[in-house]
Amino acid sequence: MLVLDAGNALFKSTDIREEPTARARAELLLQQMEAQGYAAMAVGARDLMLGVDFLKARTKGTKFKLLSANLTDAKGQLLFPASQVVTAGGLKVGVVGVSPPTGPALPQAPPVRGLPVLPAVSAEARRLRKEEHVDLVVVLAAVPYDATVRLAQDVEGVDFVVQSHEGRGEGMAQRQGLATLIPPGERGRQVAKLDLSIDGPGPFVDLSESTRARESQRMVENNIARVKERLGTEKDAAQREMLTQTLTSFEERRESLRKLADAASAGKSRTHLLSYVQLTESVAADPAVQQRVDRIEPPGSAAH
Amino acid sequence: MSPRLRGFVALALLLVPVWASAAPKKLVLVFTGDNGGEIAPCG
Repeated sequence: MLVLDAGNALFKSTDIREEPTARARAELLLQQMEAQGYAAMAVGARDLMLGVDFLKARTKGTKFKLLSANLTDAKGQLLFPASQVVTAGGLKVGVVGVSPPTGPALPQAPPVRGLPVLPAVSAEARRLRKEEHVDLVVVLAAVPYDATVRLAQDVEGVDFVVQSHEGRGEGMAQRQGLATLIPPGERGRQVAKLDLSIDGPGPFVDLSESTRARESQRMVENNIARVKERLGTEKDAAQREMLTQTLTSFEERRESLRKLADAASAGKSRTHLLSYVQLTESVAADPAVQQRVDRIEPPGSAAH
Repeated sequence: MSPRLRGFVALALLLVPVWASAAPKKLVLVFTGDNGGEIAPCG
């Protein structure tokens, strides 16, 4: 398993003065991401409110890495690593982080600069493929949605793009040209789980179409069973005629769904399936972490 | 057949069955994002 964050994790807004507990929250979040085995996170606009030095100091020596392929200082030097290569499940995964370009989506004052997104990601994806020989490339894109769509459509060598910026919440995996866009969820309410199966080269195929077809197939099977049951007891000829027609229609539908399900999954060497795990109160809290949360946000306080 | 060509053929014979018989590699990627400073379920 590989755990990644698409960015904008640390602060509620882009104005730190509105948040008296912001520093304590951000420190706790960074510590917990390391403790929970996160491999990397992209640096988003809402992660920079206490500055680059704060982020670097709080992640010094951690396995967990902050990534950005396009944030630079005044001299044009990258402020964070552009990518990280992680081996998991026998696969070499290249993880690229990208931040907003200088402009409205990156309100930070100089010297932090955001270079254009597409060239930065394109160069790093190409390097990962040619020099690191990775099996797949995942981009953590802490950039506005429209820029993320362009990235997925146009940048070669990228398999998945996971987007954060506006807090769009959960959704479906969307094939956008060359890559697949993954919504990661928001505000700690859920985690996105992407199951991959790799059995050779080629583009990834979304198994959810096949899964939906099989679910519909099961519903049609239930309807067929009910119609057959009624046919077994029905004496009225007109009613029997109507039920027979319904049965024929259901059986045709079952066959078309079976073909759809088989076609979506047959012979594909790379597949993915997106689902979400909801982090409701049924998921038990770690008592030690809960104590630290309660110190920052006492139960009953305005923020709680 | 040249020794070099024989080498390539032997390599191909070695590699193809390995790829064909290997089980698919499985990996679960878990993503979060846009947490926005949340540290508590109702915060």
